[in-house]
Amino acid sequence: MGIRFNQVSYDYSSFAQGLYTAIKDINLEITEKNEFIALVGHTGSGKSTLAKHMNALIFPTSGSLEIFGNIITSKRSKKIKYNSIRKKVGLVFQFPEYQLFEETVEKDIMFGPMNFKITRDKAKILAKEALNLVGLNDAYLSRNPYNLSGGEKKRVSIAGILAMDPDILVLDEPTSGLDPAGKRVLMNLFKDINEKTGKTIVIITHDMDLVYQYFNRVLVMNDGKLIYDGLPEQLFKEKDIYKNHLDYPNTIKVLTYLNQQLNLNLDVYQKTNAEALLEIKKAVKL
Amino acid sequence: MKSIIIGQYIPGKGLFYRLDPRTKIVSVLFIMIAVFLLQTIEQLLIALGVALIMLMIGRISIIKVLKGLKPILVLLIFTFIFQILLNREGIMIVNQEMQLTIFTALFLLVSLVIWRILARFIRYQFLLFLAFAASVFLILVYVDFGYSLVDSFSFKIYEQGLRMSVFVVVRLLIIITLSTVLTLTTKPTDLTQGLEKLMHPLKKIGFDSESFALIISISLRYIPTIFDEANKIMLAQASRGADFSEGKLKDKLKQVISLLVPMFIIAFMRSEELANAMESRNFVPGEKRTRIYELVFSYRDVLATAISILILAGAIVLKVI
Repeated sequence: MGIRFNQVSYDYSSFAQGLYTAIKDINLEITEKNEFIALVGHTGSGKSTLAKHMNALIFPTSGSLEIFGNIITSKRSKKIKYNSIRKKVGLVFQFPEYQLFEETVEKDIMFGPMNFKITRDKAKILAKEALNLVGLNDAYLSRNPYNLSGGEKKRVSIAGILAMDPDILVLDEPTSGLDPAGKRVLMNLFKDINEKTGKTIVIITHDMDLVYQYFNRVLVMNDGKLIYDGLPEQLFKEKDIYKNHLDYPNTIKVLTYLNQQLNLNLDVYQKTNAEALLEIKKAVKL
Repeated sequence: MKSIIIGQYIPGKGLFYRLDPRTKIVSVLFIMIAVFLLQTIEQLLIALGVALIMLMIGRISIIKVLKGLKPILVLLIFTFIFQILLNREGIMIVNQEMQLTIFTALFLLVSLVIWRILARFIRYQFLLFLAFAASVFLILVYVDFGYSLVDSFSFKIYEQGLRMSVFVVVRLLIIITLSTVLTLTTKPTDLTQGLEKLMHPLKKIGFDSESFALIISISLRYIPTIFDEANKIMLAQASRGADFSEGKLKDKLKQVISLLVPMFIIAFMRSEELANAMESRNFVPGEKRTRIYELVFSYRDVLATAISILILAGAIVLKVI
């Protein structure tokens, strides 16, 4: 079960420019339990296209993928209930403006659950729970989603998907546009959901610090191809990840710099600032 | 939605790309009027030939123009069929007896089922539909055994009907081809600048041609953007369980609202951003603006305008005679 990509390619076609291959020959397996996956890559590398395949919003041009037992190919099949796939795999888009439309936050969060035939009263409870989960209090329920700040809109849009209670959660840059504190709150929330409920979570991000600190699997896309699938620790041990338009986490960068400038021999692979500090303290024997 | 080519500019080289937009607008207008003045099929077919030769001279791929016709193909076919069936003037050309018997009905049902099943697997669905339509015709004509359900009726084509249907379709074809050539080879900005210059004399009667041209160019510019956005919103709502191709009519109403509200809000956001961007680049409405590329007439433009005037004059002469 879960999601399995089998030689999936996707072409965008436009009349003026012809075909543009967004992703090419992707083979990938995501299990439905206990995975916390970061999807990284430069802009235009096909991350979002890959994510849209995960809940069958778009169909592969060639190849096939299996989502919870449903085989998705290039043609729409009458046998498959695509809506039920979206209930199982929740996808949060990057820009909350694309989905908020109701006059109150509560109604907007209820939209998802009610599309899946959940009663109004139940949906109300779910909406409240989801909103509290993303760190907003009940006072927000009656507010107009368009009068919120960017970060608050983002949280409401995430709550809108969380309320559907999907088995796998896919988030397209959930922390972009948030302040550092908001980022940490959300990342901790996702980690928490992952640990408590065992739901698999896939997060598209550009933040290497987050990748290094939080995730136990990282997928790297480059020019439409999946070029790395494994532990983040292993990824950052590679010599030259700049060629894939990636960057090292700040801790590694700082410790490497210290090593070079002061001729130290620190272990640069420290995940958090606290660990990095310990390593430095050891070296300078404070 | 990206396959809609009407109104799309495709970069390229060739005679029509080098013409001044004003020339192109005026010439296309003249030739369109001329086409409407033509009265017989023969003249129209010659005009179609001329249009095709023009495409070749301009080195515009006919396939691209044909692809652009695709969205209105249905319209063309319907016009053709209605004209042929409803116009009953002139000599009768075809008079085919038709029967609807039990067996005919049975065969119709079978061919309908075959068509529906095949349509799922075959790529050229439109050709298949045509084949289905042809088979319905053949069945109605040749299957004549069994009990008749209704009185036998006949399928008639009249000379005038055939003429008119060909006439209307060819005329539409020429006009669409002409306008496609215009938009295919002219940048939207050039097109609006051309319009602005052409309407400049109207300023004397209080018509603000510059603002008008700006409105047109902005709306043209934002059509693809809004399509893109609508697409994204649709996907975002689909991932919240509002798939437009599934669900009951009542649910669909709600889904349409969930699409329209964000579209309006985003459009307003965009217009505000655009207004700010224009102001911060010192745009003042009504003020005189200069351009990097001024439009210049060359000998080609004079020639093209002259040819189009000749065509119009010829059409008027034909009409009068």
